[in-house]
Amino acid sequence: MSEVSIYGFGLALIVGFALPAMAAPLDEALKPLPAVPVLDAAKVELGRRLFNEPRLSVNNTLSCASCHRLETGGADDKPFSLGFDGKPVEINTPSVFNASLNFKQFWNGRVDTLEAQIEQVVISPVEMGSDWKTVVHNLTDLPLYQRAFSQAYPDGVTAANVQNALASYERTLLTPNSRFDQYLLGNTDILTTQEKYGYQRFKEYGCIACHQGINIGGNMFQKFGVMGDYFKARGNPIEADLGRYLLTQDEDDRHVFKVPSLRNVAVTAPYFHDASANTLAEAVDVMFKYQLGRNPSQEDKDLIIQFLKTLTGEWAGKPL
Amino acid sequence: MSFIRRHTSLLLLGLVALLLASTLTFLYLKSSRDQTASYTQSRDLIRQLQQLNAQWDSEVLKARIAITHNYDPLVTPLAEMTRLWADLNNRGTYHSLQDLARWQASHAAYQVAIQEKARLVDQFKSHNAVLRNSLAFLPTAEDDIQAEFNRIDGEGRLQLQGVASDTYDLLLSSLEFAQVTSDERAADILVGLGKLAINKERLPSDFQAPVEILSNHISLILREQPVVNTLLERIAAVPVAERLDDLTIHLDQDQQAADLSDDQYHRYLLIFSTLLVVVLVYLTVRLLRSFAEINRVNRALQAANETLEQRVERRTQQLKDAQSELLDSARQAGMAEIATNVLHNVGNVLNSVNISADIVTRKLRSSKALGLGKAMQLINEHRGDLGAFLTEHEKGKLLPDYLNQLVEAIAVEQQGMTDELAQLSKSVDHIKDIVSTQQSYAGASTLLEPVHISALMEDALRMNAGALSRHNVTVVKEYGQVPEIMADKHRLLLIMVNLISNAKYAMSNLSDRARQITLAVKQLEDNTVQISVKDDGEGIPAENMTRIFTHGFTTRKEGHGFGLHSCALAAVEMHGQLSAHSDGPGLGAVFTLTIPMTPAGSPL
Repeated sequence: MSEVSIYGFGLALIVGFALPAMAAPLDEALKPLPAVPVLDAAKVELGRRLFNEPRLSVNNTLSCASCHRLETGGADDKPFSLGFDGKPVEINTPSVFNASLNFKQFWNGRVDTLEAQIEQVVISPVEMGSDWKTVVHNLTDLPLYQRAFSQAYPDGVTAANVQNALASYERTLLTPNSRFDQYLLGNTDILTTQEKYGYQRFKEYGCIACHQGINIGGNMFQKFGVMGDYFKARGNPIEADLGRYLLTQDEDDRHVFKVPSLRNVAVTAPYFHDASANTLAEAVDVMFKYQLGRNPSQEDKDLIIQFLKTLTGEWAGKPL
Repeated sequence: MSFIRRHTSLLLLGLVALLLASTLTFLYLKSSRDQTASYTQSRDLIRQLQQLNAQWDSEVLKARIAITHNYDPLVTPLAEMTRLWADLNNRGTYHSLQDLARWQASHAAYQVAIQEKARLVDQFKSHNAVLRNSLAFLPTAEDDIQAEFNRIDGEGRLQLQGVASDTYDLLLSSLEFAQVTSDERAADILVGLGKLAINKERLPSDFQAPVEILSNHISLILREQPVVNTLLERIAAVPVAERLDDLTIHLDQDQQAADLSDDQYHRYLLIFSTLLVVVLVYLTVRLLRSFAEINRVNRALQAANETLEQRVERRTQQLKDAQSELLDSARQAGMAEIATNVLHNVGNVLNSVNISADIVTRKLRSSKALGLGKAMQLINEHRGDLGAFLTEHEKGKLLPDYLNQLVEAIAVEQQGMTDELAQLSKSVDHIKDIVSTQQSYAGASTLLEPVHISALMEDALRMNAGALSRHNVTVVKEYGQVPEIMADKHRLLLIMVNLISNAKYAMSNLSDRARQITLAVKQLEDNTVQISVKDDGEGIPAENMTRIFTHGFTTRKEGHGFGLHSCALAAVEMHGQLSAHSDGPGLGAVFTLTIPMTPAGSPL
C-alpha cells in the first residue's frame, strides 16, 4: 500500500515537473501523435543510410531524401518532384513524416504498407527507374552495406530487407510535440484563443469529418469534389486525377483519393495531388467549396488557418 | 536339434518384441505431436479475429450514429486482423491432403470476405463522413435561413412565410429520411427540393445563397443516405464471421479427427504394449525356466564331477598303490638282480679261491718236504757212524746232494705257495670288496658326494664283471679327462649298471662277431658331463624308440620293464637326461646320460 502511494506520488512528481500545465488529455476526434516506436537500432540506422542512398535509382541520381527532404517538411517544395530522368512526375510528393500513420500509402492508397510503397517507387519508371535486382546487386558490391545488412538481417542484402530497413527508418519519422498535440495532451494554455476558435471552426464546418484521428486525416478515402466538380472547374484533366479508379476501375472510385494528413500542413505547400493550391488559404477555399459546400466568412477561414499552423511538429528537436 | 529349435524360437520372440517396441515408439511419436495445442492456438487466433470483427462492426455502427468523428477505430481492427491472419497462416496446423484443400478453400473464402468488407467499410467511411457532415449542418443551415428571415421586415416576411415553412418541412423530412429511409420520403424530399428551387427564385439574392447551400446538402443527404444504408446492409451481409466460424468448425473437425486418430493411436499403443508385455512375460518365464534348467544341469554336473573326482581319486590311489607295489617289487627285483650279480661275482671269485686252495693243497700234498723226512730217517739209522755213513755208505754219500736239491725244491715250492696264498688273499679281498660295494649302494642315498666318474664306471663294470666275462664281452674304455664332480653316486651307479647290463643283453644273441661295449665319459662344453654306453647288438626299432623309457616296456622275456624307466627317472632327478639312439635293428644302440657338471668343491 505504501509502495503504491510512494510510486503514485513519484509519478505525480515527475508528471508535475515535466509537464507543468498538463491536465487530463482531451477526448477529441483528433488524437495526439503516438510515441516514436522503439525499433531495432541497426535496422533503423541502415534504413537512414538507404534513405539517403542515390544507388537506389537507376542512374544514381535520386535517393528517397531527394524528394522527401526532412528539412522541408518531409517533401520537396516543388509542385511535382523530378524523376531520375529530370522529368517531373505526375503527382505531388506527399510528406514522409508520419507516413507510417496513414492507413494506406500513395495518394490513391494503392498499397497497404510502407514496404510496398518503397518497392513501387524504386521500380517506378518516372521516379527511381531501377529494378530490385540491380539495387540489391549494387548494394551488395559495397562492403559497408554488406556488413550493415549482415548485422541487421540474417540473410544479408535482399530486396525485402532493403524495404524493411527503409520502412523501419520511416516509422521513426514522426513529428512530435506540435502545439496542438500538447493541447490535446491537456496543455490547453498552449493555444491562443484565436487558434482555439480556429479548431472550433474546423470542427463546426465539418473539416473534422475527414481530417481526424491520430494523423488528422490519412485514415479514409474521399471523393475530391463532393459538393461540386473540382476537376471540371480546374480543367486539364490528367491520369492521376482518376485516383482510386486507376486501381479498381470502379466508377464510384473516380476522383477518390486518400484524405491527406494535416500534420505539418503549414510547411508542406503546395497542396493537393495536383499541387494546385500554393497556399493554405487557397487550399482551405477549395476544401470549403468542393468538399464542404459551405460559404464561410473570411474570419472563420483565417481562424482555421491559424489552427492548422498549430499542427506543425518537431523533427530532430527543432520545429519544422 | 531341439536346442536349435528353441534357439530359433527365442530369437523369433526377441524379434517380435523388438518389432513391437519400435511400433510402440512410432505410435508414440505419431500420437505425441502437439496437435491439440496447435488447434487451441489457432482457434484462439480465430476467436481474436472474431472479436476484432465484432469490434469493427460496432465501430461502423458508432460511426453510423455519429457518436464519434474519429475513423481510426475503423482502420485499426483491420490492421490487427491482418496481423493475426498472417500469424494464423504462419502457424503450422495439421491437415490431411484432402483436408488441406478444403482448409485452403475456407482460407480463400475468408480472404475474399475480409477484402470485400474492407472495401465496403472504406466506402462507408467516405460516404458516412459527408452524410454525417451534411446532417449535422442542417440545423445550422436552418438557423442561417431563419436569421435571414428575421432580418426581413414584417410584410416581406409574411410573404415568405410559406417559403420558410416549406424549408422547415424539407429540413424535417430530410432528418426523418435520415432515420427512416424510404422511397416515399425520398419522393417528398425531391418535391420539397423542387419547391425550394422555385421559392429560391422569389427570394432576395443574398437569401439565395444559404438556401442553395441547404438545398445542396439536402440533395447530398438524399443521395448519400441510401448509399450509406446499402453499404451498412452489405457490410452486415459480408460473411466474415461465418467464414471464421467455418474455419473454427474446420479446426474443430480436424481436432476431432486428430483426437480420433490419437485415440486410435492410444488404443494401438495399448494393444501393442499389452502384446509386448505378454511377450516379455513369456520371455521372462522362458528365461527363468531355462535358468532353473541350467541350474539343475549345473548341479547334476557338479555332482557327477564330484563322483568322478572321487573315482579318479580312488583310481589314482589304486594306481599309486599299484605303482608303489610295483616300485617295491622293482626295487626288490633290482636288489635281487644286484644280489644275483654280487653272488655271481662272489661265486666267480670263490672259484679262484677254491682253485688257489686246491693248488696249495695239492702243492702241500706233493711237497718235497716229505723227502726231508726220508733223509732224516737215514740219518737217524746211521746216527753212530754218521760220518762214515755220509762218506762211505753208498746211500750216505748221496744224501748231502739230495738235501741240497731238496732245499732248492722246497724254496721253489714255498715261493709257489706264497704266490698262491697271495692270490687267495686277493680273491678274498675281492669278495670283501664286492660285498662292501654292494653294501655301500644298498641304502637309497640321495646325498651328493664327490665322484670320479671313471672310478664309478669301474665299479659298475666290476659289478657286471662276471656276466661280462661269461659272455666274452670286450669292454672298450674311452674315458676323457673329467674332474671329480658332485653327484648322486647311488643313482649314477644304478644307471650305469643298468646300461651295461642292457648292452650285454642286447648282444646276447650275437654270434657272428665279437661282442664289444664302448664306455665313454667326456666333458661337454656346456658344463655337462656325458656318459655313453654303446653296444653293437640288436639295436632298437624306430617304433620302439619313443617307448623304451616308458614304464613297463621291455623286450625281454624275464624283464620287468623297470630298468630304463627308472634310469630315466633317476636321470631327471639328477637334473640330467637319458637318451637313446639307434641306427636301426641290428645296428647297435647308444645310451647317453647327460648330467650337469658340478665340480666337487664348488658351492652347491
